[in-house]
Amino acid sequence: MKVSFVREVALDDLLDADHASWGRGTELEIPLIGTPVGMQPTAAIRVAWMNKKIGTVDRVVASALHNGSEIAFRLEWASPTESAEVHENDSFPDAAAIALPVASDAPVVTMGAPGLPVNAWYWRADEPRGARQLSAEGLGTSQTFDSRVIQGRGAWKHGRWRVVLARALRVESEGPVASLEPGATTGFGVAIWDGANAERAGVKSFSGDWLPLEIEAGSREGNAS
Amino acid sequence: MSRQLAMVMDLNKCIGCQTCTIACKRLWTRDDGMEYMWWNTVNTQPGRGTPRDWESMGGGFRDGTPEPSRIPSRGEFGEAWEYNHEEVFFGNKGKEAHLQIKGEKPEWGPNWDEDQGAGDYPNSYYFYLPRICNHCTHPACLEACPRKAIEKNVENGIVTVNEDRCRGYRFCMEACPYKKIYFNQARKVSQKCIFCFPRIEQGVANACARQCPGRVRFVGYRDDQDAPIHKLVDKWKVAVPLHPEYGTEPNVFYVPPIAPPRFDEEGEIDEIAPRIPEAYLVSLFGPKVLEALATLGEEMAKARRGEASELMDLLIAYKWKEMFGGFDRDPATIEWVKS
Repeated sequence: MKVSFVREVALDDLLDADHASWGRGTELEIPLIGTPVGMQPTAAIRVAWMNKKIGTVDRVVASALHNGSEIAFRLEWASPTESAEVHENDSFPDAAAIALPVASDAPVVTMGAPGLPVNAWYWRADEPRGARQLSAEGLGTSQTFDSRVIQGRGAWKHGRWRVVLARALRVESEGPVASLEPGATTGFGVAIWDGANAERAGVKSFSGDWLPLEIEAGSREGNAS
Repeated sequence: MSRQLAMVMDLNKCIGCQTCTIACKRLWTRDDGMEYMWWNTVNTQPGRGTPRDWESMGGGFRDGTPEPSRIPSRGEFGEAWEYNHEEVFFGNKGKEAHLQIKGEKPEWGPNWDEDQGAGDYPNSYYFYLPRICNHCTHPACLEACPRKAIEKNVENGIVTVNEDRCRGYRFCMEACPYKKIYFNQARKVSQKCIFCFPRIEQGVANACARQCPGRVRFVGYRDDQDAPIHKLVDKWKVAVPLHPEYGTEPNVFYVPPIAPPRFDEEGEIDEIAPRIPEAYLVSLFGPKVLEALATLGEEMAKARRGEASELMDLLIAYKWKEMFGGFDRDPATIEWVKS
């Protein structure tokens, strides 16, 4: 997927999923698959999901833009129900995440591995104006850190979620933050949780192995860098 | 695991007064999102329990494999309701306002079927069953959590939810066969009985145990051979866990209830069949409850004959402080700081 350079678009506009600038991105439809039940980290989860469908959301439309200082991903998917309020003990919010490699050889299918962290940006519908930053070095190891770094906005309309996750291109952090340099190519992954199907944690649909992410050259200050 | 704290509750002494429940409520579950939580419950047995019909929800382990289950709803636990105290006491309405529930009338709550019990007059029966988290040796909650957010303290065996790691996924609520875990909607984390560990760390017994007016609850380390827990559970074997078939190895044990004798059809005392059916007690506490009842019967007979019985002396709990396995410090002597 190409991250198009849109120099003059402000961060607030990027965070608006309906903003006209999103028409300048290239939309990519990504097929999603449910995480395999055998890969769930505990026996109780494996037993509970043995005969239940994991990953009811089977596709997501993604696009991405950057303005030389911030980068934003927009995810859009069909969701007949809006699971936003956690009003019951067994109700769960819809959620979405972008995964990015910290180490170039970090495996995404297992959410990283010891010493090979994966960085993730996580948004959920019960906190529609916000997002969390996570890192993981294997299944069940995700931890939040420096959550202020990631911004998120989501809205449900006409049976579809549109969610934007954004971050500064250059981040100073001691944590395992993915590098996103204009002109560079890296990888990304997408995960969607269907709250109505009680999806949470590793029970989700995801995009499989890393997908290529080509960040168009361009900087805020001047011409293409 | 170096040591394990445990609790024994003598069901023959529980009067269902809920002092334990309120002691716990006032100490631990008064914050936002905790309104419907009762880490300590006391229910009438036979009865549907709290949450309603929890014993038919599954969970725990069968032959070491997790048993499928589900998450109890807020309604099954019982939503917290409020009364119109403000209106009655300060509303200046005189006799026009009377005490009543604000909003929708609840249809279920903790201990909703209080004192209904079972059996037919004159042989009807019931008893009270207080429950807290069992701080299991093989905790289904801990093993179900994909985030390793539930910890079992190696020094005392207390099982706690680490709220910094918990993401509110509620696999623990699903896995716990005793359904003793609550979801806090305000904090978006799971919460449960903490065995009063901040008190325990200061040498003070759990609030539910210390406040009990009936001297029902013994507290202490399982391996403390001089203290009552070890004597009741391992030496005399008169305290047994609830639903041992759930496979989690609870560390709360119960001295089973012995009801007054039955009356036969002529109205004479029938000593042969117990009023509380043995099969019912076996369904709650497993087959070992029968040995416990037999031992209790023998020792009661000894005491009645005027002979010495270490077991009866223990259960009577002549010395209140000795029930707490060394955790007998007065909490009033400590300056508590809420962080």
